[in-house]
Parts: sequence; C-alpha cells; structure tokens
Amino acid sequence: MYELDMLLHGAQALLNQPMALLLALFGVTLGIIIGALPGLTATMGVAILLPFTFGMDPLSGLLMISGVFFGGIYGGSVTAILLKIPGTPAAAATAIDGYELTKKGQAGIALGTATFSSFLGGTASVFVLIFLAPVLARFALEFSASESFALAVFGLSIIASISGVSVIKGLISGFLGLLLATVGLDPMGGFPRYTGGYTELFNVPFIPVMIGLFAAAEAFKSLEDPQVRAGMAAALDRIIPPWHIFRRQLGNIARSSGLGIVIGMIPGAGADIAAFVAYNEAKRFSKTPENYGKGELGAVAACESGANGCTGGALLTMLTLGIPGDAVTAVMLGALTLQGLQPGPLLFKDHADLVFTLFAGMLVCYVFMLVVGLGSLRFMGRILQMPKSVLTPCILALCIVGTYAINNSMFDIWIMLAAGVVGYFMQKWDFPASPVVLALIMGPMAEANFRRALSLSNGSYDFLYTRPITAALLSIAIVTLLLPLLRRLWAQRSAGGPSTINPAAGTSRMGTPE
Amino acid sequence: MKGYRFVTGAVVGALTSATMMVAVQAAEYPTKAIELIVPYAAGGGTDLVARAYADAVNRHLPQSVGVVNKTGGGGAVGLSEIMAARPDGYRIGMGTVEITTLPNLGVARFTADDFTPIARLNAEPSAITVNAGAPWKTIEEFLAYAKENPGKVRIGNSGTGAIWHLAAEALATKSGLKFSHIPYDGANPAVTALLGNHIEAVSVSPAEVSSHVAAGTLRILAVMDDQRSKAFPDAPTLKEKGIDVTVATWRGIVVPKKTPANIVETLRTASKKAVEEQGFRDQLAKMNLSYAYLDGPEYKVAMEKDAEMFKVLMKQIGLSK
Repeated sequence: MYELDMLLHGAQALLNQPMALLLALFGVTLGIIIGALPGLTATMGVAILLPFTFGMDPLSGLLMISGVFFGGIYGGSVTAILLKIPGTPAAAATAIDGYELTKKGQAGIALGTATFSSFLGGTASVFVLIFLAPVLARFALEFSASESFALAVFGLSIIASISGVSVIKGLISGFLGLLLATVGLDPMGGFPRYTGGYTELFNVPFIPVMIGLFAAAEAFKSLEDPQVRAGMAAALDRIIPPWHIFRRQLGNIARSSGLGIVIGMIPGAGADIAAFVAYNEAKRFSKTPENYGKGELGAVAACESGANGCTGGALLTMLTLGIPGDAVTAVMLGALTLQGLQPGPLLFKDHADLVFTLFAGMLVCYVFMLVVGLGSLRFMGRILQMPKSVLTPCILALCIVGTYAINNSMFDIWIMLAAGVVGYFMQKWDFPASPVVLALIMGPMAEANFRRALSLSNGSYDFLYTRPITAALLSIAIVTLLLPLLRRLWAQRSAGGPSTINPAAGTSRMGTPE
Repeated sequence: MKGYRFVTGAVVGALTSATMMVAVQAAEYPTKAIELIVPYAAGGGTDLVARAYADAVNRHLPQSVGVVNKTGGGGAVGLSEIMAARPDGYRIGMGTVEITTLPNLGVARFTADDFTPIARLNAEPSAITVNAGAPWKTIEEFLAYAKENPGKVRIGNSGTGAIWHLAAEALATKSGLKFSHIPYDGANPAVTALLGNHIEAVSVSPAEVSSHVAAGTLRILAVMDDQRSKAFPDAPTLKEKGIDVTVATWRGIVVPKKTPANIVETLRTASKKAVEEQGFRDQLAKMNLSYAYLDGPEYKVAMEKDAEMFKVLMKQIGLSK
C-alpha cells in the first residue's frame, strides 16, 4: 500500500516537528472558540490567520489553518446545544435537537455525542481523502449547474422534515426564507432586487439574519422570564455518552459522514448543507422519526458527523483538482499557493512527502479536537449555571459584536436585531426558525443554478431529466416532500376503519413521544 | 444646570481640540494608525495584495497601516466607504477596476473622479482559456468556430457586469462575434465548470488558471494585454492577432478626492519605497500575482482610460443604466 507507507513516513516526519504540532493545537483551540462565537465562522477564522502563515514553513502554516477549519466546524455545535446560538450555519441544524436535549437536562450527553460524532466524521473524511482521493476527484467535475440546482431543491425539500410539530408553519417559515433570499443582486443579470437603494443589501445578509432568528430571539425571550436570577439548568452530569447509547448511533454516524464527504466534494456546497441533509436522512432511516425535533440524540450525531465529514471532502477536491469544495477551502487554496504549493494533480507528485505529512497532521488535528473539545466541555457547561441576568446581556452583546465582525458594518447589526424581533414572535407562535435558515442557504443556490443551467442548455429544460445525477436528486426531493404525507396515509390505512377519521386520534398520536 | 454647563464645556473643548488635531495632523501626517479599506473578503486576491502592501509600507511610515475588509455589493460597499471617508489620510483604500465599471451599472454613488490615485500595485489581464481536450489549438481556430456557431460558444465569467464578463463582451464586440456569457459566483467556479467541460472557455486571468495549465488540463489561447504574460510566454496577445482588445483588472491604493496634497505626497513616497522592496515583489510572485506598479499620475491616466472604455462598452452591450 503506497498510501499507507507514505502516511507512516509522514507521521514520522511529523514527530520531528513539535512546532508544527503545537501550532496545530493552537489552530484547533482557536477554531473551536471562533466556531462557538456567533458571527465568527470557520471561513473567517482561516482568512484572519492566513497572513500569519506567510512567515511559517508550509507544514506549520497549513496545519494551523486546517486546525482552525476543523475546530471551527465543530465549535459551532457547543453554543448551539447549550444556548441555541448556532455559531456557524451548519450548527443551525444541530441546534434543533441539541437545545431540546439541553432543556431536558441532557446537555452533557448531547455535547459529548456532538464531540465524538465530529471526531468520527472528520477522521473518516480525512481517511477517505488519503486513500481514495484520486478515485473520487473526478466526481466533483460531474457537478454542473443543473446538478447543483437539483441538490438545492433536495435541500429545500428537507424543510418538510425539520418543521417540527406543524408542517404548515414550517412551510410558512421556509417561504419567508425564500422571499428573503430574493433580496440582493439578481445572480444572472446583476440587477438589484428589493434593496431600497442600500448597497449593503446587494448580498442577502444571511449570517446576521441567522444570529437574529436564533440567538437574539432566544435572548429576547429570556428577558420576559421573571426568574432572572435562576440559571437555566443544572450542571452537566455526564459528558461521555454511555456505550450502549452511543453504539446505536454508529450506523447513523457512518451514513452521515459519508453524506458529508460527498457533499463536501461538490463545489459550492459546504458543511451547512451537509448538516441539514444528514439530519434529514437520519430522520428518514430512524425507527423513531417522530422524536426528531423534540431532542433526539441521533439528530445531533448526524448533523455533527455530516458537517465534519465535509472537511475531508472539501479538501479532497481542493488538493487534487485545485477546486475548492466550499468557502473555507477557497481561502485555503490561497494559503497553499502562497507556500509555493500549487494545488492540483501535480501536488501529489511533486510534494508527496509534504502532502502525506500534512495528512498525518490532519488526523492529529482531529485527535486534538477530541481532546480539547472534551476537556473544555465541563468548563463550557458552566455557562448554563450563570444567572440569566448575566447571561442574557452577554448573549446580546456577543450577537452584536459577532454580527459587526462579519463585514464591519452597523447596517448588519440593525438587520440582526430586526431578525431577532421577528424570531421572538416566531417562537411565541411556534414557527420554527431553521426552515428560514435552510431556505436562505438553498434559495439563492437553487435560483442561480437553475438559471445558469438554462443558459448553459440554451434555454432548453431537458437538463431536468436527461442528466442522471440531476434526475436522481430531484426524485429524492419529491420523495422527501411526499413521504410524510404517504406515511400518514399508510398509518391511517393500517389503523383501519373509520376511527382514523377521528381528529382526536391523530393529534394524540402526534403529541405523545414514543 | 451645573451638569448642563459641564456638558457644553466638554463639547466645546472636544470640538476645539478636534479642530486643532486636524490642523496638526495635516502638518505632520501620520500621527495615528491608518486604516486600509479592502472592498473584498479576507483571503481573496485583492485582500492578499493589500496585506502584502501593508506589510511593506509599514516600514516606510511612522504609523502602522491596518487592513479592514468591507465587503458587499460586488465591491460597491467598500468603494463607497473609501469615497465617503474623511479626507485626512487615515482611511485609505484598495481601489480596483470596479471603480470604473460599477458607476455604469447604476449601483454606485461614486465615479472614477471621486478618487485620487496613489499607486497601482498589481494588474492581471483577461485570457481566453479552453479545456486541454478542446479541438481549438489556437485563438484563430477558436474565433473561427465561434463565427460559424454564433451563440454556441459558452464563456464562463465571474459574474454579470464583473470584469471578466466585460472582457469577453469586449472581445465579442471588437471581433463581431456572439458568445453565450455564463456568470458564475467568482472566477473559481467558472474554472471548475471549464474543467468539467460544461462550458467552452473562460475569460479569467492567467493567474486563476495557472495551476491547471501547468498540469496540462487547460490551455490558454490568448491574453488581452499589451505584452505576453511572463508566466505563459507561448500564449499570444490578441493585439498580435489584430484584435485591439486589452482588458485587465487592477488593484492599487486610492484616497478620497479632497485629500490634502501633502498627505497624498507622503503616501505616494511611502508606497514607492514599499513596492521597491524585494519582499513585496516576492510576495506577489508567490501568489501568482503580477507586479504592475504605476505612480499616482500614471495610475490616474490608466484609470481614466478604462473609465472611458467601459462607459462606451457597457452602453453598447446594454448593461448601463
């Protein structure tokens, strides 16, 4: 095995570079912090650290950046689970069930599961990167505009499964998100739409809206709670999930990691999409899909292993083809070029030693992530014991600072606060916020790629059914949309007789967690 | 009452000292840190040039220069902010070719006249690049094919109205051809589409395709420059082939128009010393970016030439508002 040999050599070389390992540890720690803070994403963390790598040797610089990348994707889950503040867009999916678990007093296990799932998903993806890179790389090139459009439609169909109690309210939220997604420059013609003359609105202010809907709304809600001095919950009792519970998630994690790796390889699709898709598929294959949305450990495991599975997938196409799989690797591409390493087919030939040392380092980064993550959780868990009179102002301040940091723009802060007010009423009236986030991610992707595909095919709609990947993804989307409906019909038929028409029976079935 | 009087006093005091400060600052600029506004995201080409410049110029100014990214609106947000900055030399900016294109799109409050150019740092021409598996070995064959199949040749660019779209349009108008222009979300996705054979060509810069050309997966047919590229001397210029089209993106330091002459002078001198440093040039070379220094006045001439060209071109192709 050539790869295994090279990897062992790489690991040896790595041991002689304690400085690189130290920087990797620093990168992972910084990444977790950046990921946990709202507004600061892995992309931004990598971009900020980029200039510091100018003076480093390639291995140290790239390992530090990989550390920030890995840590940043994972870090988002911590605040998502504890406080329902998704630090990164991917963690918006984790927040759905993660925060419910915290409310049930199971924050510790949720965090532990998230950490192990991130580690497993990420490590699996790095192994795929090491051993299967040349085989899989061509797959990314199959993806053209029509395939990306179909993926986005599939993504939108997931709204049906993350809607919570009422699918109608979920759809309303989703369409609200789609409406918001039309604001900005028309992706093909470049015309400003609904911008009211503000240049700031040329791009949909996605992250400010997300921070507002989740974090600010949650903070506003806790303002009305009279028991301001009380903490939210007791301390974390147990962090490492018991084996008999975690064992049941292994299949789920394997599937989610695989999905994450594939989605990571697709140009323009990143951890956020992977997390939502993993959630959807975990629910589809779960024996208890009705628990999803009410605090299901499987949901947390799926989102986190999916999101971190993305890292290796995105790196795979970036390193082998020079095509960044997502926004973070686009910045990393710059880092590699700066070090005189041209990503692309020649990289593995000309710099094989360095590349495999880097791979070994990436595996070490994930081990660091596991250790730092588990080590810090107890400390992070203290947040829950803080009295709300302290915690709520802190959260609001973090929202504002984090939002400002994205573009150094006051305008974004107003958007965030407005979204917070909307989010507060949405919570009050039971409209889920995650469909809005999902629609904001997928809406622009669907629109731009649909119109691009049309323009590529000279206006013919044939691409909808002549391209196999497109047709397959669109079919899955239709199934995802119709499945809940069909399930209900089947359930009614199997229950048999006229009793199913009784509306009371229907509601009680939905209401009881089995 | 006492409080009120105190507030008044404080305000008056602050105003006086502020006025005095401005006077002092103009005389011995710079006395505090300078902000360098970059209208694009951290980690992109413009940002990298800015950071390399900030590194170099810090050694030639008594105060430090810090990079601040103000993204949005395809550069419009940041460029507007540079234009609207107080003309005291403490907020300078990276001026890019979009200074001359955005006003025509009707999405910007500025025109090229609102800026005083300090130094151009870098410029990248457009290039016509095709997949290595494509049947066209030369630009003539490519253009002949495009002539026989009007509207069939799909050229990927980095966004409608963005510089590489305009470059392809300029080629189309000058040579009387009709292309199908496909906008992507930046140059990289367009290159990806070309690698996957989903489009026939891209009009992005040689730097953005260099790794693929080196690996033999893509082929540059021509560059839209006055001279051949140093990195790819085999690719002819369009000028050589009798098509007078030169389109390039450029990046350089600009300040608001009303900035006092002595501040402009200080910045020009410091910039000149900065770009002469080998470290700065090496840094650009590492990032596959071409060093293209022009001093303020020459930069201004180049900027005005582009402003005029894009005004005519964008009206012609119906992009102007």
